[in-house]
Amino acid sequence: MDTNIIVNKRMISLKTIFKIALLLSLFLVYHSCTTSQHEESGNQVMEHTSIGERVKKFNDSIHYSISTANTLQQLKMVLAVIHDTVSFLIPERASQIQSFPCTNCHSKPIKQLSLGRKENERKAHWDVTMVHGSSEVMNCMTCHNEANLDELTSLTNKQIVFDQSFKLCGQCHSTQYKDWVGGSHGKRLGGWAPPKIINSCTNCHNPHKPAFESRWPARLNTVSNSKTNPD
Amino acid sequence: MIFSNDNKDDDRPARQEGKESGCQSGNCSCNKKEDGIQQVMNKPTDRREALKKLTMGFLAGTGFVAASCSPTAGDDKKEKAQLDWEEFFKGNYQLMDDDEKQATVNRLERLYELNVGRKINVLANGPEKDVLYGYAFNISKCQGYMDCVNACVKENNQDRASQMQYIRIHEHQNGSMDFELADDNYYHEVPAAGHFYIGTQCFHCENPPCVDVCPVKATWKEKDGIVVIDYDWCIGCRYCMAACPYDGRRFNWATPEVPKEEVNNNQHYLGNRLRKKGVMEKCTFCIQRTRTGKNPACVEACPTGARIFGNLLDPTSEIRWILANKKVFRLKEDLGTEPKFWYFMD
Repeated sequence: MDTNIIVNKRMISLKTIFKIALLLSLFLVYHSCTTSQHEESGNQVMEHTSIGERVKKFNDSIHYSISTANTLQQLKMVLAVIHDTVSFLIPERASQIQSFPCTNCHSKPIKQLSLGRKENERKAHWDVTMVHGSSEVMNCMTCHNEANLDELTSLTNKQIVFDQSFKLCGQCHSTQYKDWVGGSHGKRLGGWAPPKIINSCTNCHNPHKPAFESRWPARLNTVSNSKTNPD
Repeated sequence: MIFSNDNKDDDRPARQEGKESGCQSGNCSCNKKEDGIQQVMNKPTDRREALKKLTMGFLAGTGFVAASCSPTAGDDKKEKAQLDWEEFFKGNYQLMDDDEKQATVNRLERLYELNVGRKINVLANGPEKDVLYGYAFNISKCQGYMDCVNACVKENNQDRASQMQYIRIHEHQNGSMDFELADDNYYHEVPAAGHFYIGTQCFHCENPPCVDVCPVKATWKEKDGIVVIDYDWCIGCRYCMAACPYDGRRFNWATPEVPKEEVNNNQHYLGNRLRKKGVMEKCTFCIQRTRTGKNPACVEACPTGARIFGNLLDPTSEIRWILANKKVFRLKEDLGTEPKFWYFMD
C-alpha cells in the first residue's frame, strides 16, 4: 500500500512537470512565430521543370558581375581569332620554348650547321623524338620553316607564328580543331566566367609526341575498398 | 539498381545497428506494451530519484549558461559558450536573411579560430543572376587517371579516415554500359586497352528526388541549379541517399577527420565547410569556387579536358555548344530527374 501511494504521488508530480514544460514550449513557439519577421527566400523550386524549356524561355543577354581575370594575372596571353568570328585568349607560347628565338643558333642554313659537327658529338635536338605521323606524311620541315626557323610554316608555305600554332595543327586535325573552337576539346583556364581563356594545342600535347601516355592513376580506389571490406 | 555494389557497403552498418537496438528498455519480460513517452513516464522511481534527476538536468542546463556568464571563466570560454548557444538555436539557412547568413558565417569563422587556432574564410554568397550550371563529361577523353578525385577530396575537406569521395570513376569494357559489370576498383595502369571510363557524382537534377523526400527541408535546389545541403539542419535520416537514383550522396558515419594543415580555408556555408558526424554531404559543383566564377576542382584538375562546366543559359558557353553539336546522353533519363550532367563522345 505504502509503495503504491508513493508511486502515485511521483506520477502526479512528473505529469504536472510534463504539462508545465509543454505549456512553456507552446509559449516559446508562439513567441518565436510572432516576433520573427522571416520571409520565405523562395530558393526552393518544387514544380517539375524541364531544362530545355527553361533554357528556351530565357532570352535576356547576360551581364556577368563576376570575372576570373584576377586569378590568372601571371599568365601571358595572346588573342586567338578564328575566321574573324570567334575570338578567345590562349596562353602565349614563344617565351615558353626553351632557347627561343631559334635564330640564336640557326644563323646559317641547317646543312651548313651540320657540316661542323664532329663524329661522336650529340645532335643539338637529341631530346626530340618524332612520334607524330609517319615519315611519308610529315617530317620536321612540314611544320618548321627552313628559311625562318623562328616561325612555323603552313602546308601552302604561309608563315605561322609559334603563338598561333593551332592554325598549323588544324590543317590536318580538323575535327579536333572544330571541337576546340566550339569548346568540347581542350581545357578552359581560370574558370567558367569571362574572360574565356583556353589552352592551345601545345599546352597539353607535345607537338613531337602528341599522344597521351598510359600511367598509374593518381590514387587507387582499391585501398579504401580493402579497408571497408576486411574479407 | 545500377550501383548495387556501393549500396551493399553502405547498408551494413545500418543492419548492425538494428541488431543492437532490439531491446532498449531492459524490461522485455513484462507483458505491458509501452511506447514513447509512456516508457519514460511510467518507469518506477521514488521521489528522491526523481528529484535527483531533475536537479542534474537543471545543473547541466545552467552549466552551459553559467559558462557564458561566470566571472571566473576565461573570456575565450565565455565567448565560445555564447557562440555555441547562438549556433545551436539558429534557423534553417533558407529562412535566413542576408544579415543572419553573415552572422552565422562570422560565428563559424570565430568558433573555428577559438577551437583550432586557425582562420578560415566562410562565404555565404547567393546565386549569380542568369546562371544555371551545367556539366558535360567526355567519355572518349577520360583516361581514368583519378586526378579529379584527389582534387575533389582536397578542395572539399572530405573525411580522410573513411576515404570519402564524391566522384566515382567506373571502368567499362568497350561495348558495355552496364554499371553492374563496371570495375570501380581498377588496379593497373590506365587507360587499359579495350576499356573506357565514366565518372559519376551528384548530377544536380533539375527535379531532384532527394529534395522531395527530405523531411526537414535540409536540402534544396538553389536558383543557379546547385542542389545543396544545410549541414546544421540535416538530421541524418538518409532518405535522400535512398531516393537518389545515381549514388550521388554520402553519409558521415563518423566525425570527418581532416588534418589541420590540409583543411581548405576557402569555404562556403553550403559547400566545403567542415561537416560533423551524422550528416549527409555530396558534390556541390564546388559552390565556393563556382559562385566566384572559377571551375569546380575536378574540372581544373583533369589533365585530359574531359570535364566541361559552364552556364546553360549563356548561348556562347562551351556547354551549350556541346549540347547543340554533340550526341549527348544522361543516365536514367526515363526517370524524369533531368540531371544537369551530360555525357558525350568525340
